[in-house]
Formats: sequence, structure tokens, C-alpha cells
Amino acid sequence: MTQYLPILALFIVAALFAGLSFMASGLLAPYRPTDAKSAPYECGIVPDREPAERFPVRFYLVAMLFIIFDIEIIFLYPWAVIFKETASPVFLLVEMLTFAATVFVAFIYLISHGALDWGPLKRLRPMAPISPARTSESTVRRIRPAARDEAA
Amino acid sequence: MIHTLLLATQVLHAPHVDYVAILPELILIGGALLLMLGSSLSSSRPAPGTWSGFTVVVAAASIGASWYLWDQVSRHGPQETVHNAVAVDGFSTLFLILIGVALLLGSLVADGYLRREGLDGPEFYVLAMLSGAGGMFMSVANDLIVVFLGLETLSIALYVLAGYHTRRKESSEAAIKYFVLGAFSSAIFLYGIALVYGATGSTNLVSIATYLSQNVIVTNGILLAGIAMLIVGLGFKVAAAPFHNWSPDVYQGSPTPVTGYMAAVAKAAGFAGLLRVLFSAFGSMRTDWQPVIVVLAALTLVVGAVGAMVQTDVKRLLAYSSINHAGFVLVGLAAATTAGISGSLYYLFTYTFVVIGSFGVVSVVGRHGDGRHQLEDYRGLARRNPFLAAVFALLLLAQSGVPFTTGFLAKFYVISSAVQARSYPLAILSILTAVVGAYYYLRLIFIMYSSPAGEAEAVAVELMITDVAVSTGAGTTLVEEVDEVVVLAETEAGPPELEVPTSTALVLTLTGLFTVAFGLVPGTIVNFAHQATLLVH
Repeated sequence: MTQYLPILALFIVAALFAGLSFMASGLLAPYRPTDAKSAPYECGIVPDREPAERFPVRFYLVAMLFIIFDIEIIFLYPWAVIFKETASPVFLLVEMLTFAATVFVAFIYLISHGALDWGPLKRLRPMAPISPARTSESTVRRIRPAARDEAA
Repeated sequence: MIHTLLLATQVLHAPHVDYVAILPELILIGGALLLMLGSSLSSSRPAPGTWSGFTVVVAAASIGASWYLWDQVSRHGPQETVHNAVAVDGFSTLFLILIGVALLLGSLVADGYLRREGLDGPEFYVLAMLSGAGGMFMSVANDLIVVFLGLETLSIALYVLAGYHTRRKESSEAAIKYFVLGAFSSAIFLYGIALVYGATGSTNLVSIATYLSQNVIVTNGILLAGIAMLIVGLGFKVAAAPFHNWSPDVYQGSPTPVTGYMAAVAKAAGFAGLLRVLFSAFGSMRTDWQPVIVVLAALTLVVGAVGAMVQTDVKRLLAYSSINHAGFVLVGLAAATTAGISGSLYYLFTYTFVVIGSFGVVSVVGRHGDGRHQLEDYRGLARRNPFLAAVFALLLLAQSGVPFTTGFLAKFYVISSAVQARSYPLAILSILTAVVGAYYYLRLIFIMYSSPAGEAEAVAVELMITDVAVSTGAGTTLVEEVDEVVVLAETEAGPPELEVPTSTALVLTLTGLFTVAFGLVPGTIVNFAHQATLLVH
């Protein structure tokens, strides 16, 4: 069992580190809230509940781009460490190039699907042609000022 | 320990890789990458059917390569390659061919479905090819790590495929359920590998077997726990009770062609892994795992048959019936004899055709939106589309094990192997569940061949009105008018025409012909399965 002691020690160290960090943050950080600081907006109606956080789903694509290269690095690193010690460097090089090419295909796929296109969304399909009969004359109903006053 | 590690790192020899031996997998992966790259670089959408056509060509090439391997194995015997991590023998080549066929048929069924649902895109076929490659790696694996690698490649692609119908809530639900439970079972499987490695010092199946034959393990608790976890992990993939709870929900929610593909490939690959692990690595510990498999088989048979009886949704019904089929394959496995394994292989091979064809019919009857799967939606199918009803009836009869279909022989071989192995209770139980199965298959066939509900009402109205007309003594003009009214009512009430895409019709014809032809002349496939068992490393 003694061989597992380092793992146990690691668990304890990790728990201590997390706990101490929280405690230190609670003790050391200044806590001086003011009304202006905690207001969500500078002006407008004060919201009575926490507003839902909204962020573009596009960030997931960026996260996926990150994962792709993250994984590549995870494999590249040990590969680089053992590269000098191998008896068949050509095989190892070809293997890594194949792997990199495979990962690159995923990258191209993401780019072609607009993972890095920011700004207003491009229209994927052209809009259906609008009938020339539909003008502001035919679609907007005008109300005489007198009728509006009567209604008011 | 540290000394040996240092020695190992000082000179690192690359393993000899026989690329021809893993050519079927390489073709699928290469095809998937090519499709992904091509669709990314081309700015215009190709003609509809291009992606599925490409997938069919790739799958056919993969089947060709697998067939070449089968030929090599039957001439020169089985071999191991890639540092003994991959076994090329009859057993693995049978599964390579099976998965290639499932991919080919599955992508043909998917083509019509995806176009109808407005989901057509290269991603489906890329994922299908990658999951096929994963299943193939599972079947050729001779090392627990390779089994796991294949399992994950297969599963992750299938999780995404299950959620492919993004507009259907059920599809996302299926994907989430499959992903969470699947990831959990993969973790259990991985922990099993770790324990087995701890107990035997190797992940290579042959090395494990060698170690177990040369050493007597006095306290084998860790090893047994490891084997149990491997069985749980793979039992989940093949949906064996009590690890089957995910399958009805996932089968129901997934896009129907995916369900068919999943039922064929995930099950086949799971059983390939289970058979290989139990027989190659732990063959000497048969007395330890055999009772477990017997209990699993009995539970799976009963849960599948009883569960299917109460279903009103055809996809759920087929899900439970596929659990029941998994039970039959487990019966062959539980016998732990050559006859049992070849029976299981024959069962899996013929079931692939039956299940893809069945879900092909379901994907057409589901209509736009993939939502009409109630038993009532099948009422009068024979009138509306005799071809669909005939093929579905044939495939259902094959599933219930009617003679002159492949299903009969599959059940026969498996049960006879159980009798030979003297496990009579299991044999009797499997016959009983086959009888129960006949009930729900025949009920579905009966519903298809009964007259449509709308038409029955129309006939009743007609009879009533003519009665009135006769009793009031009205002239012939009135009767004619009444006839017209009845015809109008019928066309209004009648459901819209079912459109069977050409590719789906082709698959249905092929699977139907296969099921009947090899049911009548079984020799080829039986020999195939038998030789596959003999040509094991």
C-alpha cells in the first residue's frame, strides 16, 4: 500500500490548496459594495431578477478550434521527447505528419463552416423574391388622423 | 521497473505495420477525411446523392479489401500485426465484411431519409464511415487498448449521429442519454482494462492468456473484478439486460436510418469485442465467466421478449426485439463451444441485413418529420404500399424465426449449440421467448394486412346509406350520388402516398432477397461463419 502514498498525499495537497485559496480570497479581498457598482446598467429600469446570460453559440466553435490544437499539442509533446531515441525516425515522422494532416482537415472543415467569421451573419440562402405587388401602399393601412383621435 | 523503462526508451523500435492488414479501416478513415475535405473546399453543393454515392463506393472498397484479407487468411492462416495489437483471422474478417455491408446499406437508406428531412449533408456520411472504422478496429483488436480505441471511435461518432435530427427534440434526448450512459460504460470498461493489466501485467490478449496459463493466481479478486467490468462495458454496447435501459429510448429518438445502422454495427462490434476478450484472453477462466454470461443471456432474452409485448411504438418494439436478439447471440456465447460461436456469428451476420431492412421500412413509414411510428400508423400498409408491407412482413417473419428465412437457421444453430453444451434450461427459455416473439411480430404483420381504419368507416357509412336508400325505396340516382360521396370521403380521409426512395427500395429488395435466398440455400453463409470460427488465431 505504501506505493500509493504519494497519490494520497497529492489528494491532500490538492484539497488543501483549493481550500486555502478560497479562504485567502475571502480574508484578503476587500469587500466594499456600492449601489452603483452592483447595478447591472448605468441607466434604465432596475431589473428585479438576474438577467439570463447570453453569448453567441459561435464561442463553441472557437472552443472546438482550441480543442483541436490542444489535442495535437498533447500528442506532439511526448513525440518530440522520444523522437531522438528512436531507431526509425522516418516512421515516426511520417506518423506524426499523418496525424497533423488529419487534424488539419478538421481545422479546414471548421474554417469553411465559418468558425472564424465574426460580425453580421452571412445569409446562407438568398431570400425568396418579394412580390412587386407588395408595396408600402398595399401592406400598410393608413388611418385618418380624425379616426385616430376618435380612437384615443 | 525504472531500469526496464529506461532501457525501453533508449532504443525505440517502430513496430512493423502491415498496412494491407488494416486496409479496410484505412479506406474508411481515408474516405471520411476526403469527404470532409472535399465538402469544405468546394463552394457549391454537389448534386443530391453525391455524398451517399461516395460513401457506398468507399464501403464497397472496404468490403473488397476485407474480402481480400479473408482470402489471404483462408490460404495462409491467421496472423498478427502492428506489434501483435491487431489480429487478422477469420473471425475478424467476418466482422470487417459485416460492418462494411452495414455501412453500405445504412448510407443507402440514409440518403432518402436525409433528403426528405432536409438534413442532407456530408457530416452524416463522415460520421458513419468513422464509426464503421471504429467498429472494425474493435473486431480486429488483439489488445485491450485497441478494443477501447475502437469502442470510443465507434461510440463518439454514434452519439453525434443519434442527435443528427436537430429539429426533433427526441433526437437530442437520445444523443444526450446515449452519450452520458455510454461515457459511463466506457469508463467502467477502461477501469476493467486497468484491473486486468494490474493482475496480469499486459493488455495484449494473447499475452494475458499466456500469463494465465503459466501462472496460478491465488487471490484473483482483482482479475475477476476486471473481467466483470469488461463484461459490463461491452454488455452495455450490445444492450444486454440489465444494461439495456438506454436502448429503447435511444433507438426511438435517433433518426431511423441511424437506429438501423446502430443496431447492426454497435451490436456486432460489441459482440466481436466480447467474444475476443472472453475467448482469446480468458479462455482458461471459462468456469468463472460462463455462469455470468448464462445469467445475462437468460435476462436479456426475457427482458427483450416481455418488453416488446407491451410496446405501441414500432421503433421501441424493434428496440426490445433487438435486445431479445442480443440474448440469442449470448446463448451461443454462453455455450462456449465452436458450434456456439459460429452460431452467434451466423446470427449476427444475418441479423445485420434483417435489422437494416426493418428500420429502412420504418424510416419510410415515419414520413416527413420521422414521427409516425405508432402501431396504428401501420394499419392497412399492405393496401397503401404492398411492396413495403411485403418486405417488412418478410423481415419480421425472419426475426421471429420462421423456417425458410435466415432467422430460423440463426435461432436453430444457437439453440442447438446450447443443447449440445447441455444447458437445457437456457435452450428451453430461448425457445419460449421465440414463441413470445412470434406474438408481437405477427401482431404487427396482422395490423399491416388489416384494412385501413378510414376505409372501414367508409364501408360502414356506405352500407348504412344504401340500407336507408333501399328502405325508402329511392331510385338509382340517389344510390349513385351516395357512391360519389363515399369515394370523396375515402380520398379525404386516406393518408398521403408513401414515397419510397429508389435507394431505400434497393436496400429493401437486397435485404429481403438475402433473407429468403440464404434461408433456402443456407450453405454459403453457414460455411462462412463456421470457417471464421476455425480460422482464429
